[in-house]
Amino acid sequence: MAWTRHHVLSLADFTPEEYDTVLQTASSFREVLSRRTKKVPTLQGQVVANLFFEPSTRTRSSFELAAKRLSADTLNFAPGSSSLTKGETILDTAKTYLAMGTDMMVIRHKEAGVPRAIADEMDRLGVKVGVLNAGDGQHEHPSQGLLDLFTICSLLDANTPRLGLLQGRKIAIVGDILHSRVARSNIWSLTASGAEVHLAAPPTLLPKEFADFVTEDGLPRKLVVHWSLDPALTDADFVMTLRLQTERMTDHLLPSLREYHQQFGITRDRLRQCQPGVKVLHPGPVNRGVEISSDLMDDPEFSLISQQVTSGVAVRMALLYLMGGGKVG
Amino acid sequence: MLSLLQQVRLLDPVANTDQIADVLIEDGVIRAIAPHLSEVPAEAQVRSCQGLVLAPGLVDLYSHSGEPGFEERETLDSLMQAAIAGGFTRINLLPDTHPAIDNPTTVAWIASKVGSAPHLSCWAALTVDTQAQHMTELRDLANAGITGFSDGKPITNFSLLRRLLEYCQPLQKPIALWAWEPELAGMGVAREGVNALRFGLSGVPAIAETAPLAALLECVAEIGTPVHLMRISTARSVELIRLAKARAVPITASTTWMHLLLDTDALARYDPQLRLDPPLGNSVDRAAIAQAVKDGVIDAIAVDHSPYTYEEKTVSFGEAPAGAIGLELALPLLWQAFVATGQWSALELWRALSSRPLECLGQKPSALHPLAKPAPSPAAELVLFDPDQTWVTKPQSLKSLSDNTVWLNKTLTGRVLQVWT
Repeated sequence: MAWTRHHVLSLADFTPEEYDTVLQTASSFREVLSRRTKKVPTLQGQVVANLFFEPSTRTRSSFELAAKRLSADTLNFAPGSSSLTKGETILDTAKTYLAMGTDMMVIRHKEAGVPRAIADEMDRLGVKVGVLNAGDGQHEHPSQGLLDLFTICSLLDANTPRLGLLQGRKIAIVGDILHSRVARSNIWSLTASGAEVHLAAPPTLLPKEFADFVTEDGLPRKLVVHWSLDPALTDADFVMTLRLQTERMTDHLLPSLREYHQQFGITRDRLRQCQPGVKVLHPGPVNRGVEISSDLMDDPEFSLISQQVTSGVAVRMALLYLMGGGKVG
Repeated sequence: MLSLLQQVRLLDPVANTDQIADVLIEDGVIRAIAPHLSEVPAEAQVRSCQGLVLAPGLVDLYSHSGEPGFEERETLDSLMQAAIAGGFTRINLLPDTHPAIDNPTTVAWIASKVGSAPHLSCWAALTVDTQAQHMTELRDLANAGITGFSDGKPITNFSLLRRLLEYCQPLQKPIALWAWEPELAGMGVAREGVNALRFGLSGVPAIAETAPLAALLECVAEIGTPVHLMRISTARSVELIRLAKARAVPITASTTWMHLLLDTDALARYDPQLRLDPPLGNSVDRAAIAQAVKDGVIDAIAVDHSPYTYEEKTVSFGEAPAGAIGLELALPLLWQAFVATGQWSALELWRALSSRPLECLGQKPSALHPLAKPAPSPAAELVLFDPDQTWVTKPQSLKSLSDNTVWLNKTLTGRVLQVWT
């Protein structure tokens, strides 16, 4: 199929065909990344601007590397050294990068909706600049959702990762779901695959309205909310844990890290109720001993954390390639 | 000057009539109303008004001025022009200017700055600098020609609130309070619910409004000082008000035009112009509020006009200051949403925008009736409105200095043609 999506802002309206296109394309780029010369000339002459209004090292590095592997020129924007402190608006910043000839903007902001606002402004100006959401507040982090999907699907079929592989699988997402953009993107992508997605957290981090989170859109979306861990883990094939921000204690959302770990921390012991061969994912950075026990994180038998990071570059290459007008297949 | 408005649709929310008539107006005074006026003075200017609405001037319960202190947002002059353009003949300023309207000198200064169209009056602050710490000199202010008392902001200290209600009781001035608990609202920017979760916007629970509202209703019931409840935005609040009114607690209530027109479904594009305090409700809230206005449980619709500059509003949704302009937009948009669709009668809308707000302010609205010469004849406050005229909301077509509205550069149907004040 042809890729028609100009901006990647959310996974809420991704179609199964689009997921498969990203997975296939990422698979080709993973092959590129395993070569001695890990670079293709696809985006030569194009400019990719990383506008990270919120500080980030991992995601920004991953996007920068992805752009460079595609031979694009990259521009990095950091708010500390920017004109934002001089009264410039976010749209002014975006327009400045537009005037420099930017072809794609990768945007992260601490507030939901900023990539959308910039994409709308680019469309209003009638320019063909693609906007990629690299994480906006608690809203979404589509490239993380896609790289998690790619990591899981690649494990099930390394040669042809595809959405249908997850049909009927049980996946648990555990932790601070309320504040997590990663969880939201993963809910959209994983429920689109026909997997059963089970959310688990205390009620303060998982409002009951999450049961109605996914929309009726014709896809067989299955989403279940649990306020305890065990029912989510029972027979799970994959377990995704999320970073717990320590300020949740001062926000009166949790009594202590100790109790949180006791009730919702992923440990070797707890994983026994999952399917044999269960794998654990975490978007990083990890609070060792809080959301996941330290030894488990380092155990390659269970942990997919380093695969996630590697997948990240391939998936981001795929997204930039497709948005940049690259041919599918 | 004498004008004959021929076959105009005359709405009178007080007399509860909606009729087609010829209306003779002399210098803003209605001289005659009849199905067909045959004896018309020769000098009268005749205007064919088929399809147009003639009705009492609109009354806005509370809005914000930029001046004094934030003249780049709005001046008193631009605010008044915006009000007239929108059909409002009476507006009431909230006191959170800089300096705040918390003493008779500031009240007098504002009175000296404004002309007579529209009639502009101030809510005087209940607390010094609207900081909810110390009472203002309430008796002194009560004699300064004010609308009544309000901070326009929440007063969460119930000990202070209780004393304010007690102290104000003999002053017999309207008191407007916003039931709101900032601690419960926290950092939230959108009403809690599945939309806020999907859009990744921090939630504000309905109890940020309903919990202090329930407490406030208990205080009012106990103390007996009448209170106007501002900015009602939740379905549950409507129930609490309905119950309180049924047991004769002396309250009136208003919602804002924005809370009637939009709900969290509108937040999908994160337009910072939709960042409001209280935030837009969910669809169940909006439906309950609309029904409550129709039923009269919510007495009035306020505009809560809140101008902000382009620079202030061109930020992310979550960082945007709360509020939107509305004086020039409320009537056409409400008419289209509720009257044109048949949900409310024209009289129901006009009542919520004119006679009921006056009643909330303790004033008695009068019916539209002809006044004979040479009897004393105060000018009627009237609006001539064309519900079908379309216009585009360009920044230059708006009188307000600010254009922070989601309806900028949109084609609206319905426009005010003339106002008599």
